Amino acid sequence: MAKKKPDPFFIGWAKKPPKSLQGFLFLISAVLVGAAAGVALGIGSSVPDPGDARFAWGAGYQTFTGYVDAKPYPLLRLPAGEDGRDKPHAMLISGVGKRGMQQLAGPLDGQPVDAGGILLKRGDLDMLQVGGKVSLRAAENPVPNFTPAPAEHLGKWRLTGEICDGKCYNGAMRPGVGLAHKACANLCIIGGIPPVFVTTTPLLGSEFFLLADENGEPLSSEVEDWVALLISLEGEVERRDDLMIFKVNLDSAKQL
Amino acid sequence: MSVKYVPVIWNRTKFVYDAVVLATVGAYLGIYIYVAPMFQTVTRPIDWDIYKAQAFGTCVFFLLTFILCIGPMARLDKRFLPLLYNRRHLGVITCVLAYFHVDNILGWYNAFSPINRYVSVFMVNTSFDRFLGFPFEILGVFALLILTILAVTSHDFWLHFLKPTLWKFLHMGIYLAYALIVAHVALGALQSAAGPFMTTAVGASVALVVTLHLLAARNEHLIDTQQNDVDDTGKWMDAGDPKDVPDKRARIISITDDERVAIFRNGKKLSAISNVCAHQNGPLGEGKIVYGCVTCPWHGYQYRLEDGKSPPPFTEKISTYRLKLENGRLWLNIEALPPGTYVEPVVSPMVAEGS
Repeated sequence: MAKKKPDPFFIGWAKKPPKSLQGFLFLISAVLVGAAAGVALGIGSSVPDPGDARFAWGAGYQTFTGYVDAKPYPLLRLPAGEDGRDKPHAMLISGVGKRGMQQLAGPLDGQPVDAGGILLKRGDLDMLQVGGKVSLRAAENPVPNFTPAPAEHLGKWRLTGEICDGKCYNGAMRPGVGLAHKACANLCIIGGIPPVFVTTTPLLGSEFFLLADENGEPLSSEVEDWVALLISLEGEVERRDDLMIFKVNLDSAKQL
Repeated sequence: MSVKYVPVIWNRTKFVYDAVVLATVGAYLGIYIYVAPMFQTVTRPIDWDIYKAQAFGTCVFFLLTFILCIGPMARLDKRFLPLLYNRRHLGVITCVLAYFHVDNILGWYNAFSPINRYVSVFMVNTSFDRFLGFPFEILGVFALLILTILAVTSHDFWLHFLKPTLWKFLHMGIYLAYALIVAHVALGALQSAAGPFMTTAVGASVALVVTLHLLAARNEHLIDTQQNDVDDTGKWMDAGDPKDVPDKRARIISITDDERVAIFRNGKKLSAISNVCAHQNGPLGEGKIVYGCVTCPWHGYQYRLEDGKSPPPFTEKISTYRLKLENGRLWLNIEALPPGTYVEPVVSPMVAEGS
């Protein structure tokens, strides 16, 4: 008589699965746990490098004395030596969180100021998150014999790159670029953080441009539609100290 | 099977099933969060909250991929049926993990702003007319909503309340949720936050889900398109040689595109019942006669062959069909009898018991 072929049948409420299935189920369980571990290691270890942008908490609370420009977005104009640099430096500033400095900087536009807060750094780039005891105030002891140099006009250019918010790009978030970060960047820009343009290739040694409209005013909310995309933009480039400002008409934006 | 509602009817299989699921999730999250960073080549690590969001988000994606693969795998190879048994727990765990993903995102990307973090999801990106740049977060919100509805209604209370057909239709929403999550990932993380391994893994996952479903669909199509002769009255369909029906198992006959009958053989006795389980529309014809009752391969619901009723105290019942034997061939009456109708089994002296 021929031996009857096994016909295993799994019933969930039975005490145990059929013996002939137990090995298979053990194998599947092991494969699942192993695959989960392997995929997690593969994905987690191959994340793109977000760069070295960071809050410089280690440097502690910093204070600077210089001038403030309120337009297009608030920035400090610092004399040589004030920031450890040998040339005058234009430094972006922001409030705490996703808040700009327009309210405090507006009345002080063009005046000597003291600014205190925590630095954000990305390579040579930096930004001051203003807050704490000094915050932003009229300078108690203005730097003698220092007046910020007028802007230098560098002509009309079409540049390719990505619009980011200046704070996350400078280290408030890592990564602070890309489409996954777009909502965060838009929230920052809505809150008054300066939008910046990070180009794919440098222009006159710079890949970092503060954005403004054609008249040097803050950009309209239309900019939010173009954030985090690879685009080209056309406009006038000017330089204030070491900071490039790209005065653009958003109608010139082209998605690439 | 149960005759009363209890939160979860635990048994040994469910404990083991959930233990394997938790071990899998634990291995994924533990290695992603604590081990993988040691192998990264980054100047500085990704923000902790964002990294955790990535861990939970990718875990949800792969769990959903696995959930969707179980069905077709079980159709193609019955050894995978045990994976289907407690799939609802897997779905609920997936939904809970999705909330962890959202919590990390909202607590970081959407935080630190004067705008409410929940409101901000819907208002900070309104580029609905773009492909790249589309507010992919909204797709994730809709997927989360579906996952939540499915998790909440996963209990048998809702199955009985909504009835299997509507419940099943509702829970097919898992495919919409998966499509939304694929788009959410493709338009978000894959555009900037993912390395090549993740892009490959996501692509392979989607390809696996599609391929398995196509293969299973081809098998189902072959059953649905089988040609069976119908007699002159148009009421009796040739169901083949009774010897072709394996003992304790069934042969599935397709009457129409959406109606199948399972002809079971118990020794020399043959009976025909609906192929559709009253619990979750499981394929009874792929089940087996255990303790004298047809047992559904999905969750073990049982029915008596002669009247399609679950043995007391259970109350489920399904349609039965008449069979007759003529000239050594089995004929099936294609008119379904009301669920629970007694039909005398056909006795075929030509088949040997246990063959």
